[in-house]
Amino acid sequence: MALDVSKFIKAPEYDIKIITRRDVFQASACEEDRFSDECMELSALIVLDAAEMKRMGIQEGINVRLTSKWGSVVVRARVSPREEQKGLGFMINGLWVNALVPDETPDGIPAFKDIKAKITISKDKITGIQELLLL
Amino acid sequence: MTEPITWTCTGCALLCEDIQVYIKDNRVEKVEHACLKGKARVYGCKHTAMSTVDQGEVDVNNAISQAAKILEKAKNPLLYGWSNSTSEAQVAGIELAQTLGACIDSTSSFCQGITINEIINGNVPSCTLEDVREKADVVVYWGADPMSSHPRHLSRYSYFPRGELRQRGYEEDRTAICIDVTQSRTAKISKGMFFSILPGGDAEFMRALMDGLAGRVPKLSYDFDVKRILELAAVLKKAEFGVIFAGLGLVYSIKEEFDLISEFMNTLNRFSNFFLIPMAGHFNMRGFNHNLHEETGYIHRVGFTKNGPVSSVEYSVVEQLKHGADAVMVVGSDPLASLPLSISRRLKDIPLILVDPCSNLTTRVADVTIPCGVSGIEVGGTAIRLDGKKMDISPLMQVDGLSDEMIVRRIMEEVS
Repeated sequence: MALDVSKFIKAPEYDIKIITRRDVFQASACEEDRFSDECMELSALIVLDAAEMKRMGIQEGINVRLTSKWGSVVVRARVSPREEQKGLGFMINGLWVNALVPDETPDGIPAFKDIKAKITISKDKITGIQELLLL
Repeated sequence: MTEPITWTCTGCALLCEDIQVYIKDNRVEKVEHACLKGKARVYGCKHTAMSTVDQGEVDVNNAISQAAKILEKAKNPLLYGWSNSTSEAQVAGIELAQTLGACIDSTSSFCQGITINEIINGNVPSCTLEDVREKADVVVYWGADPMSSHPRHLSRYSYFPRGELRQRGYEEDRTAICIDVTQSRTAKISKGMFFSILPGGDAEFMRALMDGLAGRVPKLSYDFDVKRILELAAVLKKAEFGVIFAGLGLVYSIKEEFDLISEFMNTLNRFSNFFLIPMAGHFNMRGFNHNLHEETGYIHRVGFTKNGPVSSVEYSVVEQLKHGADAVMVVGSDPLASLPLSISRRLKDIPLILVDPCSNLTTRVADVTIPCGVSGIEVGGTAIRLDGKKMDISPLMQVDGLSDEMIVRRIMEEVS
């Protein structure tokens, strides 16, 4: 039986700056039920530039792991419908991106729009609420 | 079908007062004119909060007594949230903080508080949304994407409607400009007036624009067609009534040199007539700032010390959660969903009281949960719209439970 070596090869990591933003569909889904699948599906995702995704070997809809100094989450990768600046990723405000936000707040305002992280393809499932809250 | 009730929506700080709601048997049957966020607010959350102590169900009176005991015992309690409460509940919360010698802060601490402070203190000129609808010919969405955050902003006030001085509406009478790091949904309407800036590059772009306004050649540290900045400056100079809608993209980017905002507005107003409106999110976030300012002279991050009220970053919710508070009462907010987890996880380690209509992420770690009526749906009062206009909020239906104001006042009676 041939040995599957792919599982021993670490997927390449890329630097990314994450910027949070709002989304009316996510906001209304989470207002209705913060624990719903819909709230999770609309929150646990990162939107990337199409050319950047190609460069990083990330396909639309696959899971990626985002890791910052403050935490690590698995979310779904989505392609942006428009051209974005290189090196940027966009996430909707919520639990998943908050796992990555720095705790350094010299002016009392967390860096919600300046989150430095690494992105890599992941075979793991999207990180669940229980795991994030460490309950 | 029953006759509709005309209702003021508490889905966001636009407080749209033209919503039609049909109620039958004390249940919402149909909603007209509301956006998706407004409808979600009217129909309410799927999982309502239960009255609990140590995650076990108790009578609401027991929960209130336990909350009072926690706050009385604490040496440095924090009262936080308030942006989804009526002004009446906020005033009660401020009184409770005074009684306890506590620290009080709201979501504005990491949102538009910094902008609202400048407006309340008269450093930045502002106007009402009615002024925008009737008069504005140039609207600038800077780091703001109202189509995603305040869905009826453009259709009710800032772009699409006919106004007293703008009878030809968006087709001919209004120019929309969008300055952002991404071509947002709102930017799509800006017809060649979208300006893509670098993340964190707002101050540099603002200075370049001020150069353009003053007739100097704009300078930027990256490759940007300066002719476009000069064209933008020309449009702003010709404006009869211009408005900057400041979003969090702008606020976060220039928070360390926020005086630049008033400098920019002063420069702009040497040539034209511009106002700034903050894109506050929660329906009464601005109300908290006004109410606290009236009582203390500060808009947020206040500690009631022996020497009177003091405001500094030390009293901000994030700093208090990291190093200060030994008990927290959250009213109408879900900090585990909205704050960095590296900070909000500390809520698991300190006594936590949650007053909220809904079961949320913070409910899972609260020592005491006290359910309250939904402000604007089951509880009436007043609120302040994102432009500073005071609005009446009438409840849609009657419920037997307590309002957040009543809960706060009951706690105050027990700790006094």
